[in-house]
Amino acid sequence: MSEPSPVLAQAAALRHAFDRARAIPISSEAVEQIENLLAIRLSGDAFAIRLSEISGLATDQKIVAFPSPIPELLGIAGIRGRLVPVYSLAALLGYSANADHGRWLALCGAEEPVGFAINDFEGYLRVPVGDIYVAEKRDVLSTHVSHLVRTSDTVRAVISIPLLVEIIQRRCCDAGDSKER
Amino acid sequence: MWTFGRRIVAGFLIPCLLLLGIGVVAYRSIGSLTSTNELVAHTNEVLDHLFQVRSLLKDGEIGQRGYIITGDEAFLAPYREGTGAVAAAFKDLRQVTAGNASYQPRLDQMQPLITAKLAELAQTIELRRKGNGEEVLKIVREGEGKRLMDELRALVGQLEQEERAQLKVRTDDVAASANVASSTIIFGTAFCLLFVVATAFLITRSLSGQIGSAVRHVQSSSAELQSAASQQASGAKESSTAMNEINTTISELQATSRQIAESAQRVAHVAEETSSAARAGDQTVQKTHESVSGIKRQVDLIVTHMLDLGKKSQQIGGILEIINELAEQTNILAINATIEAAGAGDAGKRFSIVADEIRKLADRVAGSTKEIRALIEEIRSAVNTTVMATEGGSKAVDLGARQFVEVTAALKKITELLGTTTQAAREIELSTKQQSTAVEQVNVAVSQVAKASQETELSANQTMQTAGQLAGLSRDLMRLVQANAHA
Repeated sequence: MSEPSPVLAQAAALRHAFDRARAIPISSEAVEQIENLLAIRLSGDAFAIRLSEISGLATDQKIVAFPSPIPELLGIAGIRGRLVPVYSLAALLGYSANADHGRWLALCGAEEPVGFAINDFEGYLRVPVGDIYVAEKRDVLSTHVSHLVRTSDTVRAVISIPLLVEIIQRRCCDAGDSKER
Repeated sequence: MWTFGRRIVAGFLIPCLLLLGIGVVAYRSIGSLTSTNELVAHTNEVLDHLFQVRSLLKDGEIGQRGYIITGDEAFLAPYREGTGAVAAAFKDLRQVTAGNASYQPRLDQMQPLITAKLAELAQTIELRRKGNGEEVLKIVREGEGKRLMDELRALVGQLEQEERAQLKVRTDDVAASANVASSTIIFGTAFCLLFVVATAFLITRSLSGQIGSAVRHVQSSSAELQSAASQQASGAKESSTAMNEINTTISELQATSRQIAESAQRVAHVAEETSSAARAGDQTVQKTHESVSGIKRQVDLIVTHMLDLGKKSQQIGGILEIINELAEQTNILAINATIEAAGAGDAGKRFSIVADEIRKLADRVAGSTKEIRALIEEIRSAVNTTVMATEGGSKAVDLGARQFVEVTAALKKITELLGTTTQAAREIELSTKQQSTAVEQVNVAVSQVAKASQETELSANQTMQTAGQLAGLSRDLMRLVQANAHA
């Protein structure tokens, strides 16, 4: 009798994993000890974003350029029936403003959503909370990074989206005040 | 240009003419001198006769006076001699002067005077003899005898004076003729001698120069002739040696020609065999060409199928792109569902798990599509490689088919050329036989040429000897010419 082909074996493994996942009861404790992250890459450097800090992920959205004193603002895009300002995440982290801002958008905030353009989306990460640790000052290049996450192949800086939103809001206020003056 | 003969003839002819001129002048001068001498002698003769007539008359007068004075008959002897001879003397005088017309009247005058004088003398002597002295004195005193004698003396004196004048003239003529003759002889002889000497000098000099130059030319020519004859002799010797070598070579050539003829025969035989083999090869090539055409059709079919396979692979790739896109959209939806589930709190936890499973499935689908894409890429690459290899094979088959055509044409050409080669080999064989015959003839001719070369060598040696003798003769002649020139 001939051996089963690798493809059929892989299909069987997938089926088994799916059935097993459906068969295991839901454990809230286990869920809470897992952190969901989005693995991204900005100008070639590996980063991660907490899934809990964003409100959605979109792709291939048309961004209309918008005049602004903030150079990191790429423009505005229409997402889910709302106008969302889109900033270059790479530019906010100090990379060159002329770099390609990519086709991915990470949305955050429900009342006043803000979009961050991402160069490259690498995948979805589910890591134990224990693998995330606080970054030391000498290990990071930007003030927007507070933690690091260790994955199987590399160490990624975890970008703090709320911190970025706060900085943007502060700069918008500063720009508005200077305009009023 | 004056030749030597002309110069020598001119050198002798001119002195001869000069000598002839001198002789003519001398002859004429001597003739003139002789005639003048005759005239002088005639004048002297006339003078003698005049003197004789006068002297006879004087003798008669002397005898008359002695007799008259003395009466002695002994004194009449001069009278008798004088009167007896005077008539003959006068007659001789008249004869001598017969050619001179101017004398005759005076001689006619003298004739009666002489007669009268002789009569007067005879009368006085007779009277004296008779003793008539008185009458004799009377006659003497009358002076008739003296008058006659004076007239006769005057006439004789005139004639003597004229003769002496003529004698002087003739003597001068003689002297002049003698002077002309002597001058002509002396100066003509001297001029002739000078001319002869000058001519001899010039002719000798000219002949010496020209003959010397000619002799030198002859010397140099004989030397060149000797050298040329020597070269000719050595050349003939070399030629003879070369002819011997040529003879040997021709013999070898003959042997080679025979070998070539035999080889040409073998070549013709081999060419015929090769021609039949080429015809067999042509048939084989024709069959192979048909097989290759079948292979070409199969290869073209394979290429068509492989191209279809490539197109299908591209279509599968397009479908995979759609599946990948769907997986990505599913993944995004799953992520957004997870986010929404997290926002729903505990109620969304189960939904979160479902969304996570959906996301995992989407991830796996994406991974599978990547693997399929990789496999399709490999298939496409393999198809492309196969297509390229097949096209290369097709081209190779095309090339092979064309080459088979070329091979067929080449075999036909080879067959034709082999036919030509056979014919050429036969022609070579025939030509080689003709060549062999010609070589034999050349061999004979070369032998004759070698013989001729030997004869030429002998002739050149003889020429060399003759040139040596000519050089010796020219040296002798040169010595003679130089000796003459020095002399």
